[in-house]
Amino acid sequence: MLVVFPNQITLLKQETNTQKVKFPTLLYELELKATEEVIKMQEEIGVDILVHGEMERGDMATYFAENLEGFTISGLVRSYGNRYYKKPIVIGKIKRTKPITVDMFKFAQSLTKKPVKGMLTGPYTIADWSFNEYYDNKRDLVLDLAEVINQEALDLEKAGALFVQIDEPAVPTHPEEIHIAKEAFQVSTRGLRSFIITHICYGDFRPIWKEIINFPVHQFDLEFTNNADKLYPLIESVGFPPDKYIAVGVIDVHTHRIESVDEIKQRIREALKHFRPEQVFIDPDCGLKTRTWEEAKAKMENMVKAVNEIREELIKQGYPSEITIKLEL
Amino acid sequence: MIITVVDHYPKIPNPPREPKLRKAIHAYDQGKITKEELEKIFDEVTKEVIEEQISAGVELITDGQIRWEDGQSYIAKKLDGIEIGGLFRYFDNNTYYRQPIIKDEIRWREPIILNDWKKAQEWAGNIPVKAVLTGPYTLARLSRDEYYKDLEKLTKAYAKALIEEVKLLEENKVKYLQFNEPSIQYYPEDFDLLLEIYKEIRKYFSGKLATYTYFHTVLPLKDRIKDLPIDIFGIDFVSRKENFEILKDFPKNMALGYGIVDARNTKLETPDQIAQLIKQALNYIEDENLYINPSAGLEYLPRERAYEKLVNLAKGVNLVRGEKK
Repeated sequence: MLVVFPNQITLLKQETNTQKVKFPTLLYELELKATEEVIKMQEEIGVDILVHGEMERGDMATYFAENLEGFTISGLVRSYGNRYYKKPIVIGKIKRTKPITVDMFKFAQSLTKKPVKGMLTGPYTIADWSFNEYYDNKRDLVLDLAEVINQEALDLEKAGALFVQIDEPAVPTHPEEIHIAKEAFQVSTRGLRSFIITHICYGDFRPIWKEIINFPVHQFDLEFTNNADKLYPLIESVGFPPDKYIAVGVIDVHTHRIESVDEIKQRIREALKHFRPEQVFIDPDCGLKTRTWEEAKAKMENMVKAVNEIREELIKQGYPSEITIKLEL
Repeated sequence: MIITVVDHYPKIPNPPREPKLRKAIHAYDQGKITKEELEKIFDEVTKEVIEEQISAGVELITDGQIRWEDGQSYIAKKLDGIEIGGLFRYFDNNTYYRQPIIKDEIRWREPIILNDWKKAQEWAGNIPVKAVLTGPYTLARLSRDEYYKDLEKLTKAYAKALIEEVKLLEENKVKYLQFNEPSIQYYPEDFDLLLEIYKEIRKYFSGKLATYTYFHTVLPLKDRIKDLPIDIFGIDFVSRKENFEILKDFPKNMALGYGIVDARNTKLETPDQIAQLIKQALNYIEDENLYINPSAGLEYLPRERAYEKLVNLAKGVNLVRGEKK
């Protein structure tokens, strides 16, 4: 499984955005073409649960803001180094006027028999990564966004998504607001019947672990490569729900270096000391957007090789080669 | 009252103005322009942001930290014993810094901000420019320590290295020197360590010495701030409203860096709102002990909005000044 593939056409998109898009059809065609390539690449590598690659998205929060009522988009702010993004500004009550992610999901799913994940950014993160000039308090803003994400998730399910992932990387940054994030997550997932995943990265989970692990999700997708020294001690001391699934990040997405198969197997073995094999999904730590396609492909190939070798070992030890997932939460 | 800023200023403007620094860094990374050409752009942009601050009405400015990628790596790159590592989130912001990795004994190698300060002061003319560094405690907290393996030792090693820079700044007659120490708010139990290093730094600097905090609560430090041998203590009153509780007990032996304009949200404060907040502080704090500034560095905002915020900040201060006359 993987989260986001490198976005080959980002540059083109940024330029067209600033110069008042003259050829939206051309851009859209390029996005579709890139999505086809991402799906094909994942199938060739041997990934089991695919992503569509988010070729149509610039920034994970801004993309949703651009498609919702109540937002405008700011000028450029720097995120790090020489990288800038346009941060959303909330200027009115937030409403969804049309499905945002459904068409691209349907297109991606039509290209493959393997399941493609429906990918959403969580309400807390969209709120936290936006300027707010309208709502008096953050909870109201987050909860309005939660309704929007819930509508979107339900539409993705109707369109056939078996897996819905709601990313919430901003949640660990304000431990004092964990109750807002949790309430919003409950709203976002209301009435869903699919396999629900949340991906949270770049965070210190220590103050919120007890709360987070009770979020209504089937699977947590966490960065076990960059954050192993913090995550494993937490799992040892506070625990992890035995009935939930874990996606273990085994690829560092911020280095050019291609991890060897042995190195990745080592990381998987470490995970298997803490989780039962049938609980474990394997993926990169985070989206692969900052890598080149060549790097991403090489990293993913080694990851899949490592998984297959460990699978063989486990099957020899008598583990079943298939698992059944129960979806009630 | 003095109108000031905390540290950084947005590096690039929005259309129709040209993002020349972004383009220049990109061209330099691709080998299309030389180091000298890039340095020239850094200087040009620094001049621009100095002019912008002055034209907004700021009375104690910075160089905008235009050359800094982030508060840690710009310093760490000029010290021996440190390598630059991966990207980490900077506190609760959607902004990232490169983590210093401590591989060997930390040693001062070359001037870090002296030349930046000298140029900026020359361009600013008679408007004072403050020299700003990230403090040793915060540098230590945001580093990965593979050498000292001890926070106290690492903090003191950073302090020792930065004191070499402090000596140079003193020699060059810097009047205002600020250290940013946001990390101390998250670990108030380390306050004794903070105290110890600032007692040491104080020995080498005779001008106005400031420690600034931001993003978090200072209430756990409330009774300890007065012990710091510094002249100005900066607090963010936007991120945490409870920080207003400190006003009535704020130490009489130092000035307050009063961070009341939201550096992390585009919503524009009106001059009236700012004037009200200043009057609230004047109930407890002497006029000459107030530095009025945004809640943090301004790079979290688009450039044009950062400027508008400073304009309104200055207008707010001037409203209060007018009433006092």
